[in-house]
Parts: sequence; structure tokens; C-alpha cells
Amino acid sequence: MTGIAVPTDVQEPQVPRRGSSKRSGRRWLLLTPALAVLALAIVGPWITPYDPRKVVARPLLPPSGDHWFGTDDNGLDVFSQVIAAARYDVLIALGVVFFATVGGIAVGLAIGMNESQGGPVGWFARLMSRSVDFIQAIPSMLFGLIAVAFFGASTLSLVIILAVILSPYQIRLVRTEVLQVRGEAYVDAARLAGTSEFRLTLRHVLPNAVRPAMYYMSVIFGVSIMLLAALGFLGVGLPPPTPEWGSMVSRGASGVSSGRWWPAAFPLVFLMTTVAMVALGFSAFQRRDDKR
Amino acid sequence: MSGFWARQRWWLGRVIALPFQLLLFAIIAFFLVRLIPGDPVLAVTGNQVSPEEYLAVKHRLGLDGSPITQLFNYLGRLVQGDLGESLISGRSVFDDIRTRLPATVELAAMSLLVSSILVFAVSVLIMFRPRNIISRAAVAFSRTAGSIPEFAVAIVFIFIFYAKLNWLPAPLGRLTPGSPTPVVVTHFPFLDALLTGDPAIIGSMLAHLVMPVAALVISISAVLLRLLNSQVEVEMQKPATRFRISTGAGIGTVILSVYRRALPGTVTMAGALFGNLIGSAVVLEGLFSFGGMGQYLVKAVQSADLTAMQGFLIVAAALSLVIFLLVDIVNMMLDPRRRPGVGAKP
Repeated sequence: MTGIAVPTDVQEPQVPRRGSSKRSGRRWLLLTPALAVLALAIVGPWITPYDPRKVVARPLLPPSGDHWFGTDDNGLDVFSQVIAAARYDVLIALGVVFFATVGGIAVGLAIGMNESQGGPVGWFARLMSRSVDFIQAIPSMLFGLIAVAFFGASTLSLVIILAVILSPYQIRLVRTEVLQVRGEAYVDAARLAGTSEFRLTLRHVLPNAVRPAMYYMSVIFGVSIMLLAALGFLGVGLPPPTPEWGSMVSRGASGVSSGRWWPAAFPLVFLMTTVAMVALGFSAFQRRDDKR
Repeated sequence: MSGFWARQRWWLGRVIALPFQLLLFAIIAFFLVRLIPGDPVLAVTGNQVSPEEYLAVKHRLGLDGSPITQLFNYLGRLVQGDLGESLISGRSVFDDIRTRLPATVELAAMSLLVSSILVFAVSVLIMFRPRNIISRAAVAFSRTAGSIPEFAVAIVFIFIFYAKLNWLPAPLGRLTPGSPTPVVVTHFPFLDALLTGDPAIIGSMLAHLVMPVAALVISISAVLLRLLNSQVEVEMQKPATRFRISTGAGIGTVILSVYRRALPGTVTMAGALFGNLIGSAVVLEGLFSFGGMGQYLVKAVQSADLTAMQGFLIVAAALSLVIFLLVDIVNMMLDPRRRPGVGAKP
């Protein structure tokens, strides 16, 4: 080819409009799967065709009209179990997201604002910062295993344990952001205007420092569902007969090598679909320029 | 001579800090065990014990005396490599961990090695041929970062490659039952197999390792690839890269220059992932009946074996600290701007 190719399909760069009807319409559409998951978590245990904790048929029946997802090796209905498990898995994960994010923002703000101060306050903030690094240095699975051994596996203890394991990510995100916002002119302006340090943090630093943590909530959700399932898989999650996806997969896994895939496969599919749907839901709130 | 030491300060300082960090971790583990709600002695023995038995268990737990004497006793034994005895089996925790942990570490290390090589190769491919079909597939795959649990992949593999196609051996141990087992030398099973030099044993072990290693590789490569890719993209646009290209430097020089700047973030991530890989390996060992650290740890957790867990916590911490040390040193070697006391901003 000779000469210079002249691009013919050059378009004027479009100025993105905020909240344009087309985009926000799509936003709400993205949110529906996540809402469906939430609805399932709330009504799940009431709409199961069989009691998820009782033996209802012969063990290891393949999927059929009576038992849509078959029965497991104890004769429990897999479909009922999977549906009922949504409540435990999703609600625990939501609890973890809430506590890890709220706690992460509070601690991140405290560390970020005081880190470079002198005196005991700054010293304490730096100590906190180091301890956060320490928690993060311990592999989360092992931390979870050992914490469960110490504090037992109930819904509440699992929420707290997982929130403690996952909050360092939020703390670090907020801290990094605070360190940047702290130097902005409007913060100095507010300080000169006589705003108290506490109010300044709340009014000016907080709103400008939490965006990354907000976006990270979907990752926290996914990771906590996964960790919860892995703990259940190892047999140290919620004790049976509480329906839980991870322990269902674990009990079904031994049958997979002999071709009985349904007790393990259906909870797995639900597990991964839930994570994907919720991630999609969170992406509705993400701006284009925030994607990394 | 002082000039020599000053030049070595960047890695020496990091190495010297290690024992202190370990000491800190050991103290944290000590207090963590004492944070357990309720009386640990009663948790171990149950409620029906005679006072002598109670004191005996208390002594075995290292819970007699004031907290300060306890701490010093515990640290003193730790320095000698004594992690105490398991409350349940009475065996030395250190010996138990030494015979089991290497197998788990080996599985994690193999997966990390395989995925590092793959991720590096694919990222070079993406750099040169971004519209290639493999590159596009790899980029799409990297979007799933962190959302594929390794046991899900492993179960799907077992179903397809063992139950349906029967290409790979059953998930029932590291070797086909009945076949000769290698002599235990290093406690690293694959290394022991290599040491025998018997191709049948090595082949059998490799075949058994394919599924768990592939599952771990799939679950971590996405994270590494996504990070490395974004870093390479950023560094490609930097003036340093353009300068090299415009001065007619060879392609190898350009790649080296880009990756020296782009890799540190990924190396850090790989180090952080190694700990998680150990956790994932623990899960997969159960699934493939490998019998490494996994079963031991789960048993310790289920039977509230405090000394075993305390010991494992310290060993795991030591392992992560060594990994972090390696990560820091590798990064400082790759990119000298990261060494302490260097003014330039990376």
C-alpha cells in the first residue's frame, strides 16, 4: 500500500453527559440480577418445595420432575437446600460487606488523617497502620480457619471474622485516598475558616475519599462468599444441617468422580452466579473513568 | 569498606528486620491464643476433670505462672524450635508440621511457578499482538480475576477429565495405589520422586498433579495477568520506553526496560497470593486426598488443638515473612528506584 491511509471514520469525541436517560436506564437494568439474588435470599427458605433439613427421598436420585436438582447422599432435596442456602450465604456476605466497609472507612480515615502527626496520636496511627499490614500478611483462608476454631462458627461470628479479615483492603484504599485529599486546597480553606478537625474530616475528607472503597464492595462481597464457601468446604463453616453452598459442594464432591455430579454442581453454579450477579449490580454504580 | 556496606544497605536492612518481625508475630500469636473466650483447659479436657489432671493440662498448654513468665517460657522454647506438643496426639507439633507442610508448599509453589511463566508469556504476546485471538481470550479471562474458586475448577476438572473422559488418574492420592513409593528424603513429594530418578514414579506423580495445579493456576493467573497487563500498558506509554524505541534499541532491551518497571507490582501481588495459594492448596488436598497440611489443620481446628494451631500460625507467619522479604528484594533488584534512600520517584 502506498501513501498514508486517511482514517475515514473519525468521529467527534462525545462529551459524556452525566445521568443521561439512556445510561441511567441501563444502570437500573444492571441492578435487577442483584435484586433478584437479594429477593431469593429473603424469601428463599419459604418457597422451597421440600424441607431442606429433612430426608425426603431415596439418596442420590438424579435430577427429575419431582426433584429438580436430584437428591444428595442423605436423601435431602438438593433444590430446596440450594434455595434455602442463599439466605445464609448472601446475608452473611452482605453483613461482611457492611461491617468491613464501614469499619474500613472509619479506621482508614483515622489513620490517614493522623498518620503524619507527631506525639502519641500519630504514633498510635502508625501502629494501627502497621497492624493492618500484619493482618493482611496472614493468608485469609488460614486466618479464617483459625479464627473459627477460636470463636466457633455461628452466623454472627462468621460475619465478624470475615469482616476483620477483609477490612484491611478497605482501610488501605481509604487511607491512600485520604492522604491525597488531605493536601487539597479546600481542606486547608475549611481549616482556615475554623472548622473543627472532626467536622472537617466528616464534611470534606470523607465524601472525597470513599469512592474506591465503595467500588471495592463488590470484590469484598465476592471474596466473602468464596471464603465462606471454602470454610464450609473444609467442614468448619456453619454446622450441618444448616444449608450452605460450600458444605454442600464438599459433601457432593466425593460423588463427582463416580459421575454423580448434581449434589456438587448445582450449589457451585448458584455460588458463582450469585457472585457474578452482585458484581454486575455494583458495576451499575461505577463510572467509566473509575474502571481499572 | 564503609562505602561497600553503605551500598549493600538496601537489602541488608531488610534481612536484619526479619527476626524482629518474626518475634512480633510470635508475641501476637501468643496473645491470640489467650484471647479465646472461655477456659482453654476446660475446652480441651471437657468439664469432668480432677484438679491434678487440670493442672497437668494447664502445664502442657504453658498456661501456668504469670503471663510474663508464660511469654518468656514460650519464646525461650520457640528459639530452640520447640512448638510444643499436640494436645490431642501428644506428638511434637514441629515434627508434624515439618513432615506435612512441605507437600502443601510444593503444590502452591508449583502452581505459582507455572502461572508466573504463563502470565509472563501471555503478557508479552498481548504487548506485541493485542488483537490476536489468544490475546483477546486472555484479556477476557483476566476480567474474571478473583471470582473463580479453585475448588469449583477442580470439581469440574474431576468430572470432565476423570469421570467422563478418564484421561487423568482418580483424585485419590499422589500416586496410583499399589505402585512403588519414593523414599522420603526432603518431605517434598515431587522432589523425592525426582530424586528416585524412576520415570514411572515421576510420570505417575505428574499425572496426579495436573488437575490440582491447573485448578490453582486458573484461579490465580487471572489476577496476575490483569495487574501485569495494566502495568505494562502504562509503562509502554512512558517517555523511557519511547526514548529506547526512538534511539533504535533492540527489541530485547525495550522488553527488559518495560518489564523492569512493570513487574514490581505483579511480584508483590504474587507474593501476597502465595499465602492464599497455601490456603487454596489446603482445600484442594482434601479434594484430591493428598494428605498434606490440609487434613492436619482441619483436624486441629475441629478438635480445638490449640498448640497445633499456635504452632502452625507461627510457621505460616514465618513463611509469609520470608516470601515478603524475597518479594522486596526481587523488586529492589528489578527497579533500583525502590531501594530505600533513593530520591527518584518510581
